[in-house]
Amino acid sequence: MVKQQLKKIALIGNPNSGKSSLFNQLTGLQQKISNFPGVTVEKKRGKTKLNKEQEITVVDFPGTYSLYPTSQDERVVLNVLANTNDENHPDLVVYVADVNFLEKHLLLLTQIKDLNIPIVFALNMMDQVEAKGIEVNIPKLSTLLGIPVIPISGRNGYNLEALKDAISQNLESTENTSKKTKGFYRLSKQEQKITQGICRDLEIKNTYQALLIAHHAGQLPFLNTEDETTVQKICSEEDFKDLPAQIEETMQRFNTFTPILEKVIKKPVLTESSLTDKLDAILIHKIFGPFIFFLLMFLIFQAIFEWANYPMDWIEAGFINLTSFLKNTLPTGWATDLLTDGVIAGLGGILIFIPQIAILFFLIALLEESGYMSRAVFMFDKIMQKFGLNGRSIVALVSGGACAIPAIMSTRTISNWKERLITILVTPFISCSARIPVYTVLIGFVVPPVVVLGIFNLQGLLFMGLYLLGIIAALGSAYIFKKILKTQESSFLLLEMPEYRLPIWKNVWISVKDKVTTFVVEAGKVIMIISVLLWVLASYGPGDEMAQVELATQSQALEQQLNEVETADLIASKKMEVSYAGHLGKFIEPAIEPLGYDWKIGIALITSFAAREVFIGTMATLYSIGSSDSEVTLRNRMAAEINPDTGLAVYSITTSLSLLIFYVFAMQCMSTLVVVKKETGGWKWAVIQFIFMGVLAYLGSWLVFQIGSVL
Amino acid sequence: MDQKSTNSNLASHLLSERESGIVNSFTDERIASKLMAMGVLPGSKIEIIRIAPFGGGFYIKVDGHGLAIRKKEAEAIVLEM
Repeated sequence: MVKQQLKKIALIGNPNSGKSSLFNQLTGLQQKISNFPGVTVEKKRGKTKLNKEQEITVVDFPGTYSLYPTSQDERVVLNVLANTNDENHPDLVVYVADVNFLEKHLLLLTQIKDLNIPIVFALNMMDQVEAKGIEVNIPKLSTLLGIPVIPISGRNGYNLEALKDAISQNLESTENTSKKTKGFYRLSKQEQKITQGICRDLEIKNTYQALLIAHHAGQLPFLNTEDETTVQKICSEEDFKDLPAQIEETMQRFNTFTPILEKVIKKPVLTESSLTDKLDAILIHKIFGPFIFFLLMFLIFQAIFEWANYPMDWIEAGFINLTSFLKNTLPTGWATDLLTDGVIAGLGGILIFIPQIAILFFLIALLEESGYMSRAVFMFDKIMQKFGLNGRSIVALVSGGACAIPAIMSTRTISNWKERLITILVTPFISCSARIPVYTVLIGFVVPPVVVLGIFNLQGLLFMGLYLLGIIAALGSAYIFKKILKTQESSFLLLEMPEYRLPIWKNVWISVKDKVTTFVVEAGKVIMIISVLLWVLASYGPGDEMAQVELATQSQALEQQLNEVETADLIASKKMEVSYAGHLGKFIEPAIEPLGYDWKIGIALITSFAAREVFIGTMATLYSIGSSDSEVTLRNRMAAEINPDTGLAVYSITTSLSLLIFYVFAMQCMSTLVVVKKETGGWKWAVIQFIFMGVLAYLGSWLVFQIGSVL
Repeated sequence: MDQKSTNSNLASHLLSERESGIVNSFTDERIASKLMAMGVLPGSKIEIIRIAPFGGGFYIKVDGHGLAIRKKEAEAIVLEM
């Protein structure tokens, strides 16, 4: 059988209409996530069987209120619906609206209707109708709108079969349903002239499509420059003012459908305050509100930080066991090393993040689904605005304290592109859990573990200081980016505050699964390549230096009567020194000398680009204690390190402090970099961020070392 | 704008919570278009539920439907006296 193109249907509706629940009900776990072409707006696609023979593709579109978009997300809906040639242009639209707010949710429906795209109206949340005492006359609504209306519930799957039947029927009889029905909007004289001109010159059949093109020419990716000029000429000849026209259109549409709704829907008048009102009185209370929010964030932070530790330890132990098993069973040689130290190490580096990502997105999905997130955004919008961020940025910033990767992925909920970009750019400044081992090892070289002012541990204070420095760097650079970056998108809050409701577990589960899969598949590929590259750098050297060093070291070990473990550690250390990474470390030594670093630290800076905690492992190898995994052993060994030129300790207070500052600021995490690339749709911002953070790290460390050396 | 004497914009009597009124018109077309798409129309009953903890934002109900708006956006709404 020839594989034919499946018919496409689009799920469209206002935000909070329960569109995603319906999508999950229709497609189950068979979802594919990609981006709409040219933009980083998530496109969810899935398949559903309408009946035994017919299978269709379902695309979930971003929620929007009208075809007059103000954000990148909303723009996608216009771009696809106003362009009949778009690859995503649907054969049929399933319009989803919440029966509780029908009077607010019909504007977009009437616009799509006027585009003459076949529609099936899925009237959602019907499971709540009885309890709330709402009465709807469905057949009458259907007749008056001229559209099939199917009452459904995305929450419990009520009446999905009827919806599928309706979709099936209307897909087959596309010709019949596109019969001319009375439009919801009567064009003004001026608009008639303009749309006639556009229909004629651009060969468009639908008047409303022409009107949308008149409104949005200049921002529609599917119009070529020639057509754009034509449209703009037609509009300026008529002196077309788009905003007043748009307002007039919206008014007229509401005036047309409001009387229809009055005829078909009966709602009881609410007198007592609802559960939502009672909860809001506490959850966004002037004092309790922020307090509860920080308590919740603290719990999330703890969850990512502490709870994720157990599965992370299992994953780590699993990979260690796997590596040693393979090393023992496979023949020794480069192929085994590549497999264990390159590929499997890379794989471990990817999988280790899964617990944190899964836990964060589980909790975030709960907050989103319950309706709490809108309240958090509302509370912090003002403060975040000052730094060019959005109320939603606070979630990313807080979770960045555990790990920047899930934090950056969580910024998808920020619809304003500039605010989202700034959040992505500054989140890695927040000290993440991977910095802790580095801080722990180095802090001891800077201050002793003494108690000051009665209760404060000096090391603890420095620890806190480093965290604060990260927060200051994040907010400070956000402010700078706010001043530099320009955007045409206007920033609105205008956020719906949905009623509180119990999360739908299916939605929560699918959200977690999506985030984890995206990370493993998309980021995983690049992380794997970089990991193998770093392995090559650390395991190979120019010429036969490595082989010679190995021989020389072996005889040295014999002379010094070292045992097997000590010999292996010494060889590993010497080999690292002559590897490409070692050469690189020595090569950059002049550049990092003003920061107080030697070539060994240079090597660690290079290898720890994989992830900050690799710093510890590299240092252990370099100091010939690779087989010991104790941070105490390493610290003792580092403390004993003497600079051969000066005779002073390498890890002086100033060098250690300078190194700490470096790790606070520098983007030493390839996984984060890859996720930034993925979320911003290209390497541009990832590279800018890498350089920006690197320069800040260099300058900060340089300043600290130079000032420290003078004192 | 001779209506100014009979109308007042939302922000001007937002200082106390639990204010309510009927939307008359808007002073900013761009904000108006966005508000209207969300169902805030001339004639809508609007009620201030509370002010954001750190200021700058209003939690309002429009015909019983919850909405969060910034001060700038609230200032564009003209109420009937």
